[in-house]
Amino acid sequence: MFQELLILVPYILRGLEITLSVTGIALGIGLFFGLVMGILRVYGGRVVSRVVGIFVAAIRALPHILLLLIIYFLIARIISISAFWSATMALAIISSAYQAEIVRGAILCVSEGQMQAARSIGMTHLQAIWHVVIPQAFRHAIPPWSNEAAIVIKDSSLVYVLGVPEILRQAQYYSARTYKPFLAYLTVAAIYFLLTFATNRGLDALERRIRIPT
Amino acid sequence: MASGKNVIVKVEDLHKAYGSEEVLRGISMEVTEGEVVVLVGPSGTGKSTLLRCINQLTMPDAGRVWVNNVELTDPSTDIDKARQHIGMVFQSFNLFNHLNALDNVSLGLIHVLGMDKKTARDKALMELDRVGLKNKAENYPGQLSGGQKQRVAIARSLAMEPIVMLFDEPTSALDPELIGEVLVVMKDLAVEGMTMICVTHEIGFARDVSKRIVFMEHGDIIEEGTPAKMLTNPDLPRTKQFLGKISELH
Amino acid sequence: MTFLEYIRIAAQPLAEGLLITFQVSAVCLVIGLLIGFPAALVRVYGPKWLKWLVTGFIEVLRGTPVLVQLFLIYYGLPQFGITLSAFTSAYIALGMNSGAYQAEYIRGAIQAISSGQMMAARSIGMTRFQAIRHIIIPQAVRFAIPAWSNEAVAMVKITSIVYLIAVPEMLYVAKILLSKYYNPFQTYITVGVIYLAVIGVMTLLLNFVERKLAIPGFETSKRGA
Repeated sequence: MFQELLILVPYILRGLEITLSVTGIALGIGLFFGLVMGILRVYGGRVVSRVVGIFVAAIRALPHILLLLIIYFLIARIISISAFWSATMALAIISSAYQAEIVRGAILCVSEGQMQAARSIGMTHLQAIWHVVIPQAFRHAIPPWSNEAAIVIKDSSLVYVLGVPEILRQAQYYSARTYKPFLAYLTVAAIYFLLTFATNRGLDALERRIRIPT
Repeated sequence: MASGKNVIVKVEDLHKAYGSEEVLRGISMEVTEGEVVVLVGPSGTGKSTLLRCINQLTMPDAGRVWVNNVELTDPSTDIDKARQHIGMVFQSFNLFNHLNALDNVSLGLIHVLGMDKKTARDKALMELDRVGLKNKAENYPGQLSGGQKQRVAIARSLAMEPIVMLFDEPTSALDPELIGEVLVVMKDLAVEGMTMICVTHEIGFARDVSKRIVFMEHGDIIEEGTPAKMLTNPDLPRTKQFLGKISELH
Repeated sequence: MTFLEYIRIAAQPLAEGLLITFQVSAVCLVIGLLIGFPAALVRVYGPKWLKWLVTGFIEVLRGTPVLVQLFLIYYGLPQFGITLSAFTSAYIALGMNSGAYQAEYIRGAIQAISSGQMMAARSIGMTRFQAIRHIIIPQAVRFAIPAWSNEAVAMVKITSIVYLIAVPEMLYVAKILLSKYYNPFQTYITVGVIYLAVIGVMTLLLNFVERKLAIPGFETSKRGA
């Protein structure tokens, strides 16, 4: 069994880099657009809020794997980019919709009185959002964001479908060659578990560090 | 009202309705420099709404508001700039929870008035000292009692050097034994000549400190006058009934 | 071919696929409930060692992708001589996965109610078991409904991955149509619209049921997806 594991390792390592890249980039881009959309949802006015809301609701109502396929084909029609990048962009778009809701929820958690107090000392709307609302919303956002990060890590397994050589596909190559699928998939499962575990623990620690003293 | 003194706040024919409920029905009043006006009346009769219309946190449906001769209801007026000179103290304090007391007070100085950090800090400490909380500068709102939070809130408004302070039921959310420390600060302000409009049920404060008590009900000003008159011998029976009731409680 | 012509051809197979989607979703939801409910009870009221064990299982199931769990069962188990059909593998993998999530929702509901109600029940002489049975569980069920309806919607979305092991649900049918007519755009958009419609109707129905069953005066907040 040990020997089998040894052969498995290079496969996995090759795939791990891809898995981490896809996840990290998708989360990052998703964060950027999620922030923008979330803020627009809360402060953008009725029309903008509704339009963004429809986009977010549509993405959240569709299976992720279907969205991956749709977006891949949409992008592949317009520009020719690698499977890696279209898969990453697809995951980013999906995550941005969920992150928009997280941002929106976190902002709404901050009471209206905070905004009123900030305006009453002469701050502009933007200043109030930046200096008073967002720092507090940030703290509310960490637990659900930790959840979302774990979801993106797990969703990266779906890009297998687009042929991206991340760890799940590597496991498949391995089992095709050695006829030892169980070990391969079990190892992959263990890696995913380590990744989600570490992420959750790390963000828990962050939450504790920036907790407001009471 | 002393003649020759500036009118700091002027409100003309204010109307505000929420849905079908009319909360302000054509309110007009003037507050001169150094005057302390107390608004009393049953809950939900528009007193807080009136206050919030003065600094435009609530936009009236009709009517005009001037503060220091600047018309705030004019769309071309820079409202944020105007608010720098109007202080507001809220029933629920609304301290910025993620900042300690010192930063709460200095935030406006740094980002609204553009002071440098050191000058802002020093001024903030001075204001906290003025309300007796210099030693709590590093504490966060979660670590302060209700009375302390409200005093920090007052310091936050004072730091901006307002020409009028609006108090929206400042002690209603406080435990009884904490009310006193806030009223002391408010009394000191009045003595120093600050123009103040207070919505409150604290009749003792009204009697000792205010120059004028305004009784509002159902969106109208029912009666107004000096504390002496309103509390002992008002014109209207309704006034006597209401003020009598809350005098008993406070 | 025009979109309309395509719809006429695709309608029936897609509908059949949709039925399979519903079938798999329903079975897995029920399996999930049968696993999740006892698991939640163990997590709140069980002995320490059992709590640990169950928590471990739940954490692992929630911390790994459901696709990997599916492959482990469908492709991995045959290595040990256990060969399961695609349907069975799907039921087991997605059922267990759902069970882990449902255990957490139900646990949350139980804990939200538990202490005060338990004290009240014990103080009139009920045993722990009676209290759980007559007081805690009826309330927990109502409390868990919003989260559970989230889970039902999520399940319909998740079942789409079983197309990868050739379970003939809607996405699988779509892929076959694709390979016949070479129109990925039309196919995926159609399937997408169907999912939107289904999820939309489900959400409305479940909201309605939620409101009907809610305990008057208690407002529960929906957990984020």
